Amino acid sequence: MHSRILAKSGSTLGRPAAWLTHFYACCIVLLASGCSQKLTPPIPAAHPEEETPRRGGILELASSGDIRSLDPATIGDGIAPQIIHQIFAGLLDYDDKGTLRGDLAEKWEVLDEGLRYRFTLKQGVRFHDGGELTANDVKRSMERALSPKTPNPSRSFYAMIAGMAELEKGPTANLEGVQVVGTHVLDIRLTSKDATFLPVMALESIRPVCKSAGANYRADFVPCGTGPFRFVAWERGQRVVLRRNEAYFHPGQPYLDGVHFNFATSYVAQRLKFEEGKQDLLREFLQPDLLRFQHDPAWIPFGEFEAAKQMAGEGMNVEMAPFDNIEVRRAVASAINREQYALVKPSVMRALDGPIPHGVSGYDPALQCQKYDLAAARDHMRKAGFAYDEQTGKGGYPKTIAYYTYAQALPEFTAQLLQQQLAQIGIRIELRMTSYAAWLALSHRRNTAPLSYQGWSMDYSDPNDFLEPIFHSNAINDEDSNNSSFYRNPQFDGLIDAAHGELNPAARKGLYDRALRLLCDDAPWAFTYSVRFYNLRQPYVRGYHSHPMWTYELTRTWLDRSSSNESSRSALFAPARVLPRESFR
Amino acid sequence: MNNGPRDVAKTAFLSRILRGILTVWAVVTLTFVTFNVLPSDPARLVAGPQARPEDVARIRVEIGANLPPVARYARFLGRLIHLGPKADASEREGHRDCTMLGRLHLDLGRSYTQRRAVLTVLAERLPRTAMLAAMALLFQVLFGVLSGVFAARYAGSLLERVIVRGSLLGVSVPTFLIGLGLQYVFAHRLHWFPLDGFGQTASEHVLSTVLPALTLGIYGFAYYTRLTRDEVGRELLADYIRTARAKGASEARVLWVHALRNAVLPLVTLVGLDLAALLGGAVVTETLFRFPGLGLLSSTALFDRDAPILLGTVLVASLTVTIATLATDLLVRVADPRTK
Repeated sequence: MHSRILAKSGSTLGRPAAWLTHFYACCIVLLASGCSQKLTPPIPAAHPEEETPRRGGILELASSGDIRSLDPATIGDGIAPQIIHQIFAGLLDYDDKGTLRGDLAEKWEVLDEGLRYRFTLKQGVRFHDGGELTANDVKRSMERALSPKTPNPSRSFYAMIAGMAELEKGPTANLEGVQVVGTHVLDIRLTSKDATFLPVMALESIRPVCKSAGANYRADFVPCGTGPFRFVAWERGQRVVLRRNEAYFHPGQPYLDGVHFNFATSYVAQRLKFEEGKQDLLREFLQPDLLRFQHDPAWIPFGEFEAAKQMAGEGMNVEMAPFDNIEVRRAVASAINREQYALVKPSVMRALDGPIPHGVSGYDPALQCQKYDLAAARDHMRKAGFAYDEQTGKGGYPKTIAYYTYAQALPEFTAQLLQQQLAQIGIRIELRMTSYAAWLALSHRRNTAPLSYQGWSMDYSDPNDFLEPIFHSNAINDEDSNNSSFYRNPQFDGLIDAAHGELNPAARKGLYDRALRLLCDDAPWAFTYSVRFYNLRQPYVRGYHSHPMWTYELTRTWLDRSSSNESSRSALFAPARVLPRESFR
Repeated sequence: MNNGPRDVAKTAFLSRILRGILTVWAVVTLTFVTFNVLPSDPARLVAGPQARPEDVARIRVEIGANLPPVARYARFLGRLIHLGPKADASEREGHRDCTMLGRLHLDLGRSYTQRRAVLTVLAERLPRTAMLAAMALLFQVLFGVLSGVFAARYAGSLLERVIVRGSLLGVSVPTFLIGLGLQYVFAHRLHWFPLDGFGQTASEHVLSTVLPALTLGIYGFAYYTRLTRDEVGRELLADYIRTARAKGASEARVLWVHALRNAVLPLVTLVGLDLAALLGGAVVTETLFRFPGLGLLSSTALFDRDAPILLGTVLVASLTVTIATLATDLLVRVADPRTK
């Protein structure tokens, strides 16, 4: 149809009707491009000189994705935790520096050389329905979340708790390792020492739920916890409405009257709403918009990066040729120019030479893992028996290798870069672009994908989360193998197992350093980049900073809007510009 | 035994219904087969890309994805329409996701991701999509027929060229671009309508539907314009029009009563098919406007490999197309005696 139009309009250029067609087309193109040409100035705070938080206002947030459940026990998507964190408080939490601290727990003690933990709860903490939080509620909530009948995708994080195996077998519903010692005192026994225990105790999955939720999982669960905001409504596919928990156990907080989480909002719509003051924080951007915001002097003070909590790499299946040859894997790891990768989307990507992203506990810039060195890469190819002559283009690995990735995301672009970079050492790859679901299945299936895009995001802030689930031989399966490169090294496994049970931080770091060196040299992945989100706030959003662990930490956020810019939020026919440009220059 | 034209018509009609049912079955079965041929694991998508294998395995059992495809297909068909306990025993195990008409139960299963009965989810979404479809169709037909009639009446004039070129642009410009343009002008700049979403009150629902309906309407409007222009233009050259004019009928009567009435039959067919297509959900438009209808639901279900939801939306779409085709055929038979 389009080619026909072009052909026809070309032959009739100059006639009024043809001119009209061009005019209409130009109007639409200009209209569309006009959406992202110029940035609207920020809406200023009403009282920028004041530092004392004011109470009131609804914070509007948006995401392009949607949620599936608001039950902490069944989190299966990346957005629900942002809301669940507001409704449910945990025994432990992270402070602004990313250090573990008690939240519902006033304190915790490590007993029996790390085999037993005693948590003492704060007294007087109330659920949103008015009931008082006791140790029984913590035990009931954990049993509910960890029951084999509950479709909990992170149940195995808690396998170290004594009694989990019996709970799995049934028929008991009692998690024997969690013992109520007093009204506000709880002991948790472990089967073995485990350094990941405290980090996973801070996760949302096992946070206490109201007594009304009962002891068993139900699909019609009504969210009710002890967090800073209480649940009001969930309009499916649209938004979740939260209101301030007036009885929150941190006195005076939160300052906001409520929060609205809007779903399925396109990037364009988010930007337009943000400009109008109908959305208060912006976290998802079209790339040109992000660059403009990051370079506009008026907006620079209101943007900041979140910690990088995701990493990516090129996974090599060590059971398939040619990656069953360690020299070929080393060659790939050396041939990748990570700085070039980061240029694909420099506003959010950072070159990364190891498995632990920049924002995760355990990242050590001093530990150089994999290094770009083209000469070394060619040397590794020669040692593997695939010498390549870059002058003639002859030699290298004789077959074309299938590379699996998925479309419509960063990996689609980095795949092309990989193809070019590996061609320089005589490895020719064929890009197999699939849907996300198909990539997930194929690239994690045994003997299927020799080379594939791989990535991992932080579950909990600990180096273990980026090593054990993806590189330990325990994570190998024929289907759905989290260890997608099918890497198996008993020495590496031993170091990871030892570090898992090591509670001394210095000794643990030593074990991880050794494991990392092994991994970098064995190169089951060529690590490439980490990803960090950029957070932009309106100037009237005060007290908000990105958090090292949580996407949104809102207990100390407050709104400082003037009545004039408040009115723009709901008025259907309100003017687009709330304040003249001159008012803040 | 055949007793006359009435029985022939009845047999033909019954045969059409039977073929319609077969078509729906074939579409749903094809969807099921395609879904199972695709290399993907619904349990992995429910659990999340980083869930540990033992957790994925448990969820696979919970959603029934551990069963072989044939067993899943048999279960789907077996419970689609079945007999069960009466409504007062609705909580009885095994019938929680059923919609009941006495002892007759309808059950499309439970969504993998939402963990709710598919029929409940469809019942939420269908009325919204129906509202969007009705408004879009109204816009298409009303403005399409009006501009088509004018284009036919003023054939060869600048007005006709503007209308025809405009309609050509309407069918050529991608829907998302039309939607973006409307969002930018009428929501962002003029603030006449909400940018996206569905609102909370009835009036907000209506206002939220206008721009998505216009987006769909502009595309369809162009087709109606061109079709009406051709049909009315042809009728205006017919002998009976000359006779009507000779008998002193006004130009308006000639155009709107004589010519349009006879040109309307192809439009009726198109309206029926369009309505059915729109009821199946408009993926791009609903996604762009965050309109919580069937289109957005089916695209999310496809991405999440939520088979029960996907089969439910496909069933609704194929049923509406089949019913609309039947209804259109009946309507045409009533309107045009020559087709009887």
